[in-house]
Amino acid sequence: MASEVAVTIVTVRDIFQDEAGRKSRFSDEYKNLSALIILDKQDLAQLGAKDGQKLLVKNDVGSVIVAARTSEDDAHPGLAFMYNSPWSNQLVSDDVCDGSIPGNKRIKATLSIAEGNVTQISELQARMQS
Amino acid sequence: MAICTGCSLLCEDIVAALENGAFSHVKNLCRKGHSHFQAAFTERTVPMIDGEKVDLDRAIAKAAEILKSAKSPLLYGWSNSTLEAQAAGIRLAEKLGATIDDTSSFCQGILTERILSGKIPTCTLDDVRNYADTTIFWGSDPSSSHPRHLSRFSYYPRGEKRQKSYEEERTCIAVDVRKSATAKLCSNYYFRVAPGGDAQFMEAILAVLEGKIPKVGDKKKMIELSSVLKKTEWGAIFPGLGMIYSLQDNMELFERLLAKLNEITTFKVIPMVGHYNMRGFNELMLEKTGFINRVSFKDGAVAHGPEHSALAAAKTCDTALVIGSDPLSALPFGTARALARQPLIAIDPRRSLTTDAAKVVIPSAISGLEAGGTAVRMDGVTIKFEPIIGTLLLSDEQIITRIMEAI
Repeated sequence: MASEVAVTIVTVRDIFQDEAGRKSRFSDEYKNLSALIILDKQDLAQLGAKDGQKLLVKNDVGSVIVAARTSEDDAHPGLAFMYNSPWSNQLVSDDVCDGSIPGNKRIKATLSIAEGNVTQISELQARMQS
Repeated sequence: MAICTGCSLLCEDIVAALENGAFSHVKNLCRKGHSHFQAAFTERTVPMIDGEKVDLDRAIAKAAEILKSAKSPLLYGWSNSTLEAQAAGIRLAEKLGATIDDTSSFCQGILTERILSGKIPTCTLDDVRNYADTTIFWGSDPSSSHPRHLSRFSYYPRGEKRQKSYEEERTCIAVDVRKSATAKLCSNYYFRVAPGGDAQFMEAILAVLEGKIPKVGDKKKMIELSSVLKKTEWGAIFPGLGMIYSLQDNMELFERLLAKLNEITTFKVIPMVGHYNMRGFNELMLEKTGFINRVSFKDGAVAHGPEHSALAAAKTCDTALVIGSDPLSALPFGTARALARQPLIAIDPRRSLTTDAAKVVIPSAISGLEAGGTAVRMDGVTIKFEPIIGTLLLSDEQIITRIMEAI
């Protein structure tokens, strides 16, 4: 077991999360479908974490606490997925290349077991105003 | 029939009946469209200044005052507005000497620009329905982003030359970093690439098409792919952000692949544009300024470049007008925070992180539901629509016009 696991996060879309966001950005439904990270079984095992475990995801840009979800895809250790949302954007660098394309598809971050609860949308809003 | 402005397919066959201020019956809406329609009745914005409710005239006057006194305003959003509103927005940017940009700036713009300039061959979605026997979803997942794409155009329908359709005549291929809902549908023809590995995969396809051994991927599977591509009578590629973000400034490689495919057979490209009128903004900007996005009108001249992209301008502007977009949700944290620190003017029908942070909020009618207008579908087809819900709310075009008059 490791206290930290390094992953590359790719942001992707999901129809159910999109639907929840269209209904309300401030609902529990949207938070529950957005504040999560989809991980390979091997990465979860390395952390000693289970499905639904709260994880701290952090990098040079920021940090966020989200829930872990076990991937149903073929094995992809070291590769994680998050849905596009204010939670994933906490970790995206805006230090863009010449094409002005941000780094949503290759976010380097580390994971560890979190002490607290999933980061609330109100906290993300407060960070923007700070 | 109503038009759904939930995505850039602009589905024209929506049946919606209203009763007591709510939809009593809807037909043909996808999950995304259904939530777009239902959202018309929840979390609507009201005119506000500094978090206090005001009347609409005051909110418009305050917006005009902020913009008039700004030295380097940014006008951003536009992809969820009609062509009429976009045209008014470009006029406002000219009048203010502002920077204007839309979501295509970090989305499909890099590809749309090549399509509009003729560098990349394209077609309509109706052509795809009628003729395509091979469709490639490259870094795109229409089952999540454009749920009726497969049923209306690219896989299931019986087109003019494809009466046996998906059962016998259509092959779908997915290239993605994950087995998305669409990739699952493509089963035997799902090709997994590593993040940033799309260029290598394109090189591998070019190699097998030329009879060489590919450097990446399962060789047997790559040869099978080459065989499918060579046998294709009429193919279509639908690139999503997965491909765009992976290739970044290496779009010439995609052009090389297309040139090679078109030496052998016919292959067209339609970018999987997300917002309902992103392409309209690109076309209009090209016509008015010579550039599809990222334009500054400072000192009466037209300047274009990455320094005028919303991502860059968010950090250099002294105010921003955001219309029909929620950059505080959708953009990288640093950009969102830079915008949140500006005196923001948000024109939006519904509450968002951006309207919560805005100094001035101006509520607008929802295009397609409460306001009519014109938009350009992802494939360049122009679609007109009429409102289906009566409202006293102003359209985006009317709001921009009122602000311009007040200035």
